[in-house]
Amino acid sequence: MTAVLDRLKAYAGVAPATLVIGVFMIAPLMIIFAYSFLEPNPYGGVRPAFSTGAYTKLFYERDLFDEMVFNATYLKITFRSLWIAAASVAACLLIGFPVAYYIAMQPPERRNLLILLITIPFWTNLLIRTYCWILVLRDTGLINNALISAGLIDRPFTMLYTEGAIVLGLIYTYIPFMVLPIYASLERLDLRLIEASRDLYATKWGTLRQIVLPLAAPGIIAGSILVFIPGLGAFIAPELLGGGKNLMLGSLVQLQFSSARNWPFGSALAVVIMAVVMLTLMLYARNARRNGGGLQH
Amino acid sequence: MSAAIRAERLRKVYPGSPPVAALKSASLEIADNEFFTLLGPSGCGKTTLLRLVAGFESITGGTLHLFGEDIAHLPPEKRPVNTVFQHYSLFPHMTILDNVAFGLRRLGKPRQEAAGKAQEMLDLVQLRDYGARLPNQLSGGQQQRVALARALAPRPRVLLLDEPLSALDLKLRQSMRLELKRLQRETGITFVFVTHDQDEALAMSDRIAVMSAGEIQQIATPGEIYEYPANRFVAEFIGDANFYQARVEQVRDNGATYLTPFGTRLAGPLVEGAEPGRSVTVFVRPEKVTLTAAATEGNLPGRVRDVIYLGDTTDYRITLEQGGDITVRAENHKDGRPLANPGDDVFVELDPSALRVLKE
Ligand SMILES: Nc1ncnc2c1ncn2[C@@H]1O[C@H](COP(=O)(O)OP(=O)(O)O)[C@@H](O)[C@H]1O
Ligand SMILES: [Mg+2]
Repeated sequence: MTAVLDRLKAYAGVAPATLVIGVFMIAPLMIIFAYSFLEPNPYGGVRPAFSTGAYTKLFYERDLFDEMVFNATYLKITFRSLWIAAASVAACLLIGFPVAYYIAMQPPERRNLLILLITIPFWTNLLIRTYCWILVLRDTGLINNALISAGLIDRPFTMLYTEGAIVLGLIYTYIPFMVLPIYASLERLDLRLIEASRDLYATKWGTLRQIVLPLAAPGIIAGSILVFIPGLGAFIAPELLGGGKNLMLGSLVQLQFSSARNWPFGSALAVVIMAVVMLTLMLYARNARRNGGGLQH
Repeated sequence: MSAAIRAERLRKVYPGSPPVAALKSASLEIADNEFFTLLGPSGCGKTTLLRLVAGFESITGGTLHLFGEDIAHLPPEKRPVNTVFQHYSLFPHMTILDNVAFGLRRLGKPRQEAAGKAQEMLDLVQLRDYGARLPNQLSGGQQQRVALARALAPRPRVLLLDEPLSALDLKLRQSMRLELKRLQRETGITFVFVTHDQDEALAMSDRIAVMSAGEIQQIATPGEIYEYPANRFVAEFIGDANFYQARVEQVRDNGATYLTPFGTRLAGPLVEGAEPGRSVTVFVRPEKVTLTAAATEGNLPGRVRDVIYLGDTTDYRITLEQGGDITVRAENHKDGRPLANPGDDVFVELDPSALRVLKE
């Protein structure tokens, strides 16, 4: 009797968490997954009829004679998204690691202040912050005006609405996600190991390569995932700084739910992005387990 | 042949508010092949001195030479010195073999050769089959030996050891003392060993530097340190001692005579500023005093106040009839009974030659 009661109590204890995860995470995913296998309703929404059309649309389209022909448009967009996300990860890593290292080497009180500074951009709306980049990058923007009045160039240098601008926007948006986990792993790094390495004839660079980087790997990997995933599905930066002409997956999904009125296709795209992300995470987890538990570090 | 290490008025002040003068003005010379120990209480600057030699801290003042070469401006990786760290500091992501081979690899030895040498070092510290493990799969004592092997593998000219045995239990500590001594003899490397444990220092060292509050109090062999401590701090820190005030009776060219509180005369070295009538400190080690029941001429009568059983010996705190206390350390009877019990009336036999005058 008491055993049953105890079990009930235990269930009651986890109920709120289960409810939140169920309602806010699992249910929407299930809906998206279900929609991706239905037929589009031309006026928005879906028609309750099973179809794999959304997935075939990723690779094929119907030509004038109603025949299925290969269509690389969406693959191209996928690859562009992958490379832009990867480039952002690389750039965030190059900038973020030295920043995280610098912060981790400061005295403790100083560190907290610097970490606070890193998070300050989050206090303002992302849309507004991205609009500001337009003011900086556009042909009559801050940079071009400055260069022209300094006489370094005589016609504006096109920066806005390029893939570079998108990458810049993504770096700007997601760099804290790179800095924070790397900082977390560097902060726990035993500085005496660095001394031991120097004592054993390793130079500063050798120590960075042999000791610091391997021990910071969990943070580096976590940061890379945290930048890569949202970068892949990013919407605001590609839309505003890429001008919508360098379409990325995020914009493509948004398009399907708005003007294109093809919810199943939008859902299918979302499912594909999710599959890619989950695959990446599983690879990482397997790798981490094999390397003696990088995840737990 | 120049000294392995020569420090002259070496000084280290850690910046901060207030700044900490961890090393005030240390001068010492360590010979090649010597087993040299820095002994002192926690916080006296032992680690600081080691870190200055290893190159982890910058020198505030004075000079530091290694085999005649001024090393003040060399980074740690340019100094032919390796350290066994107090907390071992093994690289957690590398196997034991890679840890031990680390220094050799950085010195440019090919992988095969470095691995071979590292394996030899593991054999030497009796961890032959542990090369493939990770540091956290080893016990504290084993990690300690790996740290030793790792520091010895590149054949440094000087090995610095910062309280390497302090985290081990007593039995292991004692066997490691012998082990370290053996390694030092076999490798011929100069060892600079830091400890706060006087037994360790006495058992292992060729010479000891006793430190206190950032200053070197005395540098001498274990025997000299124990028998002729330079001052009260050294006498108290190494071994136990009974201290008394004696009076200068007569000053001669090469020494002085002192009148002890026990009515005896004591010929001793000349104490600074000695003039007849002045008071000086004398001391006697408790094991140099004997307890006896016989009221022979010259023996001091007293009553046993406390009996402190130490296993192999027992300490007797005795209140002397003439005033004052004395502690006597004596072996027990063969059957383990102590020689006296609290409240017993006893006599203390104090040979005048057991008393020493402190120079400072
Ligand atoms: N990095 C440092 N910054 C400030 N003070 C320090 C630092 N390292 C040591 N000290 C101080 O210097 C003194 C000597 O320390 P240390 O050399 O570690 O002593 P020991 O090794 O003999 O215990 C201590 O008072 C200690 O607090
Ligand atoms: Mg210390």
